[in-house]
Amino acid sequence: MAQSRIVSNLMAAAVLAALPLVTTGQTAAPGATSKVPRAADGKPDLNGVWQGGSNRIGTWEEANGGGGTNATTGQITPFAVRGAPEKAPYQPWAAEKVLESFNRRGIDDPMARCLSPGVPRTTTMGLFPMQIVQTPKTIVMLFEVFHVFRVIQIDAKHPDDLESSFMGDSVGHWEGDTLVVDAIGFNDKTWLAGTGTFHSDKLHVIEKFTRMDQNTIAYEVTMEDPAVLTKPWVQRSTIMLRPGTRLREYECAENNTDLDRYEKLLKDESVFRRK
Amino acid sequence: MKRASNPPFATLVLLLAAGISASAHHSFGAEYDANKPITLSGIVTKVEWTNPHSFFYLDVKDASGKVSNWKLEGFPPNVLYRTGWKKDVTLKQGDEITVTGWHARDGSDWGHSREVTFKDGKKLFFGPPAGTGDGGNAPAVADPAK
Repeated sequence: MAQSRIVSNLMAAAVLAALPLVTTGQTAAPGATSKVPRAADGKPDLNGVWQGGSNRIGTWEEANGGGGTNATTGQITPFAVRGAPEKAPYQPWAAEKVLESFNRRGIDDPMARCLSPGVPRTTTMGLFPMQIVQTPKTIVMLFEVFHVFRVIQIDAKHPDDLESSFMGDSVGHWEGDTLVVDAIGFNDKTWLAGTGTFHSDKLHVIEKFTRMDQNTIAYEVTMEDPAVLTKPWVQRSTIMLRPGTRLREYECAENNTDLDRYEKLLKDESVFRRK
Repeated sequence: MKRASNPPFATLVLLLAAGISASAHHSFGAEYDANKPITLSGIVTKVEWTNPHSFFYLDVKDASGKVSNWKLEGFPPNVLYRTGWKKDVTLKQGDEITVTGWHARDGSDWGHSREVTFKDGKKLFFGPPAGTGDGGNAPAVADPAK
């Protein structure tokens, strides 16, 4: 197809153009294209089944198994974020705790105990898709992983009777074509992104969802937590449309053998520790 | 940060570091050793199509004729469906297969599966690559020791 040839040429040009540019830190996606689907109220239409955690178009295996963020094969999605992500700006004592979790190979991951992944981890997670259901007043995000959901009221305020929870409380508003979601009310029992990235119940998450074209949402998340971070931690990635995919069931506690195995492994950590 | 020097197509690149990595329910590296790959051939004795992980059991005969029953871990049913498997059809008790994967750190007859090859030569992935859920190649914070 002519279109795919154009994309291939663009990609080739991009690779050549980008090679001399070795940078740290991420760069934001450019402006949205004119191909953004619109809802009846004129806002970008985010309805559909999506997935984060990968920038590879293709089969589920290509996107999530041999593919995903570490792949060297398969077609990369347009708008994929380039460059190494910012290291998490933890306070020294907290960074030591994150590093210890990494050295223990994430054996303390709350998800292994079937606890909700929290925010923003649920959104940036690969392998499991999410569905966005959008109305002018409410946007619902349904996540296949652990049956987690987020109900995001538009132009609303956080309730004043919040109690800490795994997924917190989310409210949203539109800034032009970008959906901005503000989330607070978290407990301290989830991880933010990578292994060991713990947080306190002071966590405040601001997410920006910008649909760039038919297949891509540019996603920017700012995590604020003065109890453990030295400054806000910003991560950028993309969320890609998965046409033809429907959410299925992922019930964690059915046959979770990990806890028994971990109990045995933890009797001698030298068996699995990195160092 | 404004980056005026960016080439026009700089967002279309093949490089992306895994800051937000594909995640798994649990740590591969705590339970399995990526430096101990295994290839096993045998007869399927049982299939558990379950969450958060599916398993199948394989009778494997060693050189002396002794049979061991291996337990192989893999994707949950939702992911198996998307990678081409059909419950009770694709893999059944009595099937003769070969599977690649990695050995459990505790040395038991337990493995993390990757690719299954069927008798007719067909190949399907039953589990993810090594290293999911265990932190990947680098921690989320700078390592002061490096």
